[in-house]
Amino acid sequence: MNEESGHALHALSSDGVQLEIGSVLVRIRSSLPGVSEHLKRFYTGFSIRPLPFGHYDVSIVGTPGLRRFIRPQATLVANSRVPFLPLPSALAGPLMEWGINWCFGQCGQTSLAVHAAVVERAGRTMIMPAQSGSGKSTLCAALVYSGQWRLFSDEFALIDTRTAALSPSPRPISLKERAVDIIKARYPDVVVGPEGRDVEKQRFVHAKPPATSVARAKETAPPGWVVFPKYVPGARTTIERVARAQALVRLADESFNYNQFGRVGYDRLVDIVRASDCYSLEYSDLDDLLPRLAALTAA
Amino acid sequence: MATIGKTDYTPLVRLLRTPTLLSGLTAEELSHVIDLAYLARLSGWLLGNIDVRVDVSRLPPWLSNRVLAMRLTVTEWDRSLRWEIDRVTRALSDVDMTAVLLKGGAYLAAGLPPGSGRRVADLDIMVPEARLADAERALLAHGWQYQVLTDYDATYYRQWMHELPPLQHTERKSILDLHHAILPKTSRLHPDPARLLAHAVTTSSGSRVLSPAHMVLHAAAHLFHDGEIAGAIRDLVDLDGLLRHFSTDAEFWPTLIREAQVLQLTRPAFYAIHHARKMLNTPIPAEALHQIEAWAPPKPVGWLMDGLIERAVQGEDRPSASFSAFALYARSHWLKMPPFMLGRHLFRKAFLS
Repeated sequence: MNEESGHALHALSSDGVQLEIGSVLVRIRSSLPGVSEHLKRFYTGFSIRPLPFGHYDVSIVGTPGLRRFIRPQATLVANSRVPFLPLPSALAGPLMEWGINWCFGQCGQTSLAVHAAVVERAGRTMIMPAQSGSGKSTLCAALVYSGQWRLFSDEFALIDTRTAALSPSPRPISLKERAVDIIKARYPDVVVGPEGRDVEKQRFVHAKPPATSVARAKETAPPGWVVFPKYVPGARTTIERVARAQALVRLADESFNYNQFGRVGYDRLVDIVRASDCYSLEYSDLDDLLPRLAALTAA
Repeated sequence: MATIGKTDYTPLVRLLRTPTLLSGLTAEELSHVIDLAYLARLSGWLLGNIDVRVDVSRLPPWLSNRVLAMRLTVTEWDRSLRWEIDRVTRALSDVDMTAVLLKGGAYLAAGLPPGSGRRVADLDIMVPEARLADAERALLAHGWQYQVLTDYDATYYRQWMHELPPLQHTERKSILDLHHAILPKTSRLHPDPARLLAHAVTTSSGSRVLSPAHMVLHAAAHLFHDGEIAGAIRDLVDLDGLLRHFSTDAEFWPTLIREAQVLQLTRPAFYAIHHARKMLNTPIPAEALHQIEAWAPPKPVGWLMDGLIERAVQGEDRPSASFSAFALYARSHWLKMPPFMLGRHLFRKAFLS
């Protein structure tokens, strides 16, 4: 974290800080030490300013009164709403991540948002739409930590409503269950946070985004590939072409706000599948998959 | 530290009162007002004013993107509400009926100022009570259905209310309220539904809507009746837009004053016009105003209501604002039902549901 951003963190517990994530500004407030530690660990290279404003307003509020001495809790307040039940205060940092996710997904986007991991290589993006638990974040982490691909996001494809270009949002990658061990073993140098259990009682860690991706967080890129990944234990790698019309329907299904933009939303998804080679893939072995994907997406 | 679950509408109210302030806002203030307008269902109003007063091309990209997104969203809301009107019209043509559109649907169909950007594709329509069963049958045949209700709730609607329980379309999930009157049967005021329907007019798009005077009186009767602060702000903005628009017709004010008396809606008309003037500087011709002021409640009641409404609408971040909101909510129920019935209803809602 540069000196200026580190200094700004003092404002966290008062008027809040403004965290710049690609083209989005998030106001963050919290007096819980977990949030400050989380920002220091994962958000080096991001711009953090002592400004009381953001498109999204995320507060992590501690338990008031004496209650804070026994099993203290943290409550998320996102844009004046309380979307989740309180969690143990040890999860204050991760709760901030989930709060930002909640805002991106629920609070009115300026982009068309699809639930997908996005990475970029040679100026084109690969969009990987999938439900949680499909191995999308694992694959995304492997691609970016292998150094071949730039991280856009492990969670959100943010699509410009005029150009269909993708915007980066290179926040920490959320790894769950098996992926925790797989990625820690493959990339031991990657900075990860403490392991915990999320709202669905799943094991998780956050992993720090590559500095090179963070430094280029304002560089958008056009679509190049749409890949629907699925982790199947023990399966051989299979990669199959998907018809563009089918890819379009699946993208719309995975969108958070497809209905928000009406016809324009449809038109941009058409732009994306027209500009992309579309595949579905099943995998269990990253060592087998990564070279094949590299060959498939080579110029 | 952040207050949980409270929204302070003061910046939006200031802007509603003096729209010219819009051109002087900082980027951050404008962004904040976009959020408030969304919550208060006033995105359409704000967008209309941004178009006139803000040079969007000079905004920083993150903010011009927000304005663009708001524009696309408002366009889509309007399209889906128009589609909803189209589908209802088609369903009712099976039983040779044309419903009269109320509130947001009417404003959009008639091209009136408060019509655009209302966030929900929910629709309110009115039919003669004698034809309620026909309308209900046609709508059920075209994919609308009742949401799951308790027996108590179903009885509540059928016996006491001015509308059937909300219908929801199975595929589009939109809500349709089918009215046969504009106030509940149990209310102390009984504006004659037959008169409202008889005066209804046809818009250039072929929809039926209430006459200008009746439309304003309905909006007035509806004001502060939903007990929700953001709703009250929007209701006043609707009234302001309608009054400014209809005022250009010389016949409008005399008709409004006559109809308010015929329909027993002089008190709601007073509150509506009084507060639209106070909050939004709505221009009212002097002779009409003189007449309307005569419909004011006794002074102490007037002061009390003024205080409650102002505090609630401003949504100030202090306990008295939520007290005001609660007092207005209680009042909206008080107006709907006689005291004994209200007691029974609230007991039921508090302890048995």
